Amino acid sequence: MKYEITLPVLSDTMTTGRLARWLKRPGDKINKGEAIAEIESDKAIMEMEAFHSGYLAEPLAPTDTDIPVGQIIGYIVDEQEAATAQTHSETSPESSAEPETTKPEMAKPEATEPKIETPEAITTPAEPISTEQKSPSVSGVTSPEPKTIPPVHGKRIASPHARALALKLGVDLSHVPPGKDGRILAEDVLAVAHQAPTLNLEAGPPFRLEPLTLMQKAIANNMIATLSTPTFRTTAQISLEAIKQSAEQQQISLTLLLAIACAKTIKAHPQFNAVYTPEGMAYRDRVDVGIAVDVPGGLVTPVIRDVAERSMDELAEDWRTLKDKIKQQRLTQQEYEGATFYLSNLGVFPIVYSFDALVPLGAAAILAIGAEHNGRCSFTLSCDHRVVSGADSARFLTSLQEQLNAN
Amino acid sequence: MEREQIHKMLRDMLRARAFEERAAEEYSKGNFTGFLHLYPGEEAVAVGVIHAAEPSDYIVTTYREHVHALVRGTPSKAIMAELFGRRDGVCKGMGGSMHLFDAERRFMGGYAIVGETYPIAIGVGYAVMLRKLPEAVICFFGDGAVNQGTFHESLNMAALWRLPVLFVCENNHYQIGTEIHRHSAVTDVYKRAAAYNIPAEKINGMDVLTVNRTTQRLLKQIRSGGGPYLLELETYRFRGHSMADPGTYRPAVEVHSFTTQDPISIAAHEIELNYPTTDQIAEVGPDCITLLTQHAQEKGQLIEQELALMKDDIAKEIDAAVDFALQSPQPTLEECLDDFNINQRTEILI
Amino acid sequence: MREEKNYWQALNLALDMAMAEDSSVFILGEDVGLYGGTYRVTEGLYAKYGEERVRDTPISENSFTGLGVGAAMVGMRPVVEIMTINFALLALDAIINMAAKIPFMSGGQYTIPLVVRMPGGVAKQLAAQHSQRLEHTLMNVPGLRIAVPSTPQDAYWQLRQAINSNDPIIFLEHELLYFTKGILDSSIEPLPIHRAQVRRKGKHLTIISYSRHVLLCLQAAEQLAKQGIDAEVIDLRSLKPIDWDTCAQSLQHTHRLLVVEEDCQFAGSGAEIVTHLTERCFFELDEAPIRVAGRDIPTPFNAQLEAASIPQVADIIAAAQRFRYPS
Repeated sequence: MKYEITLPVLSDTMTTGRLARWLKRPGDKINKGEAIAEIESDKAIMEMEAFHSGYLAEPLAPTDTDIPVGQIIGYIVDEQEAATAQTHSETSPESSAEPETTKPEMAKPEATEPKIETPEAITTPAEPISTEQKSPSVSGVTSPEPKTIPPVHGKRIASPHARALALKLGVDLSHVPPGKDGRILAEDVLAVAHQAPTLNLEAGPPFRLEPLTLMQKAIANNMIATLSTPTFRTTAQISLEAIKQSAEQQQISLTLLLAIACAKTIKAHPQFNAVYTPEGMAYRDRVDVGIAVDVPGGLVTPVIRDVAERSMDELAEDWRTLKDKIKQQRLTQQEYEGATFYLSNLGVFPIVYSFDALVPLGAAAILAIGAEHNGRCSFTLSCDHRVVSGADSARFLTSLQEQLNAN
Repeated sequence: MEREQIHKMLRDMLRARAFEERAAEEYSKGNFTGFLHLYPGEEAVAVGVIHAAEPSDYIVTTYREHVHALVRGTPSKAIMAELFGRRDGVCKGMGGSMHLFDAERRFMGGYAIVGETYPIAIGVGYAVMLRKLPEAVICFFGDGAVNQGTFHESLNMAALWRLPVLFVCENNHYQIGTEIHRHSAVTDVYKRAAAYNIPAEKINGMDVLTVNRTTQRLLKQIRSGGGPYLLELETYRFRGHSMADPGTYRPAVEVHSFTTQDPISIAAHEIELNYPTTDQIAEVGPDCITLLTQHAQEKGQLIEQELALMKDDIAKEIDAAVDFALQSPQPTLEECLDDFNINQRTEILI
Repeated sequence: MREEKNYWQALNLALDMAMAEDSSVFILGEDVGLYGGTYRVTEGLYAKYGEERVRDTPISENSFTGLGVGAAMVGMRPVVEIMTINFALLALDAIINMAAKIPFMSGGQYTIPLVVRMPGGVAKQLAAQHSQRLEHTLMNVPGLRIAVPSTPQDAYWQLRQAINSNDPIIFLEHELLYFTKGILDSSIEPLPIHRAQVRRKGKHLTIISYSRHVLLCLQAAEQLAKQGIDAEVIDLRSLKPIDWDTCAQSLQHTHRLLVVEEDCQFAGSGAEIVTHLTERCFFELDEAPIRVAGRDIPTPFNAQLEAASIPQVADIIAAAQRFRYPS
């Protein structure tokens, strides 16, 4: 049997996806459900799972090109021999159009192995073909297409902007991993600049390196992104007595009640629902509260929408659904993105007296709640100082206390 | 003609000759370089024509135009300083020998691309026509310029719209080194005007009095709406085309014949050969200055002492012009750019 | 006044207003009078202002353009129409040797308030001699200014401004723009004549173009947006001088430059734009700039090949896709 692999639909708005990289090579054995490629949608990079067991077979779509959803990007075959004996007869127009960008990933392993003349190698032109030949319908003239530049050992090909940034940020270009095209652009320098100083692991004991999971990568990127936010913190001691009683009586999650109290407080202090952008302050007309939830291998922040206005029943139902999805690891991107305010509660750990949290991008503040001590909990509000001031935070916490006591 | 008028014209012809000879000397000394086209021999043309013009008339000339500016009234020191490329030159050192402009005197410029004077002249003439003013435009050009397309294009339009332009051909018989029989199928320039229904005539360009009288009559007619006219003036340049031109293409006997004082004979040019025969040359070619001097002396309008005084004054004027030019500062690039971007003082561009 | 107008109607209105306001403005060119202009730009003006101010000329491009120069020297404000830019080759002496140089050579004594309008560009199957773009030739002439309006609004205002200016201005009109429509609002304060305008805001790359190709760039940008590439499109509106500040500001946040021109690529306008911006913004560039330009061939008559000889929307998209964008 031969199964087609098509570019999956990963979000409602997705019309094309970019094949970030193949995780398997032609001829590799594949088990159903196993990740075989990473797809970059309009929102995130996600792993694509195999829907059949077998062997990955050519032709494979090129990485780093935009591909419409539903298009065939490769095959899974039953027998290993068939996987590598494919001819180019079924090659999609896109892949034949850009031979030099087809497999930058595969080029590296090949280079270290004796070169084998596969049928593909014969049909692929040795030299990149010229623009004219490549697409006879394409008109006009464009500047010579930059060739994919292989990283040269010891020499970094970096863009002028990347070099300028490296100089400004004190980044050593030799420590910047280039992009897949072998070049260092500004984003590559920024990624390094936002990292901790380069670790010299060799100086310590022997170690093993485990590739980062997608969640680890996402958390790392999100946290690094918060570094440019000028943050201050305000702590208050507030009693949770009233709201705890209320939660028990109504059989409602304490976390949800806290979220509602926060949302109502925000209604009275709308600047806490704003976010700074260089173009202006964005005031949002709905309070969406993101709640930090501890999960194996990291954390997620499911978002309850319109917390200030909707009924308790609806909100409770939403919160239950979100928690179920987290358990089943089925939380979608739409369900954990776009909060206007965040809540992080470590009160379940009695030893935690107080802590503070990082303000995620897109919000003005995050509230961190510690465990109860002497009848009170420590409420630490971390705020973006471009949006609110210290007195604002004091007023916010005062209102929140009143809100909680009113329960 | 009035004694005073004759004296004025003689003085300007002598000034013109002296200025040009001094320019050649200063050029040879290395005080400036570039192209230098001199006028000796042709003075009766510029002096005769321009003395007939009113201050309200416009003058458009070629690159051999120092004398035209001088006669029009541009101070000799401003012209000399321009030849030297100095700040006090009439164009602040930006135009040079071939591009003298003097807006105040309606001197519309010296143009160094052969055939450019016609479109400029009909353009100025068009403006005069639209404004319905009693003004005329004098458009100078050489015999070599009549084979340029703009001659035909512009004469056609001038005739079509009856523009107030006097086309003045300075026929010195040579387009640089090519004699008129070798560059034109029709060697009488005035005959060409008939193709555009423009009245025309040819007169002796060595005789300043005839040139002046004829031009006065034609300009009057043009200012009162008579339409364009073409006047061909037969003349001769004693020097090469420019300072770089030894003039070896002209038989020595021909040059000599024009500089002798024999009375002129236009008939000598009505020949089929490229060059006049020795017999014919003997009858040809006076120097226009000698001609006028003789005429004035014969009529009792000029005495030796007056001529000597005149020459003395002129020598002093030209000396002063050279001193002025030498002392004038070099223009700076800033001044140059300032003039270039003159409109950006008043207009917001970006 | 605020209403939808064709590009040619906007030009016609600009000429009409200018002539009504200033008696020194007059028009001349081939078939501009009785016929009304081959692209209708001077329609109705002959009847309104008479033959002296709307002058039909013989086919003598160099001389009637030179006539404009001469008239401008004595204070008139001529608007010369050269029927197509291809004929301007015959008028280059008047434009380059006269108009561009007289103000300078005269040491600033004369100004040349002249406008030379030239329809041009690749239209529909006019073949090689009638499909030229000569902006590269004219851009290289000190003393000229060049306006390249792409919309009726700009056509109206830039022509008014050009007529009011005291410098010689070349006014390039793309033949395929004459029947494009747009809102003409004569009450909006116009931008300075040579200011560039950001037609579309974007953050990923800067596309710089002018004249008709701005419209193609905007179409390309909409399609690129669907692929997550957010292009900023700058309409230069002027090729001489060029508003470098607007271009540089854009590059400071996009770091990627794509220049689109209909003119042939070799030593074309794009060469100047890319070179200048690379010199000025070198350390802002995260990718080598790309030019999308006409091929270096005379324009073929065959319609398909004609289209293939100049940039199309697909070419602009393909070029934009060659950049790597921050994830």
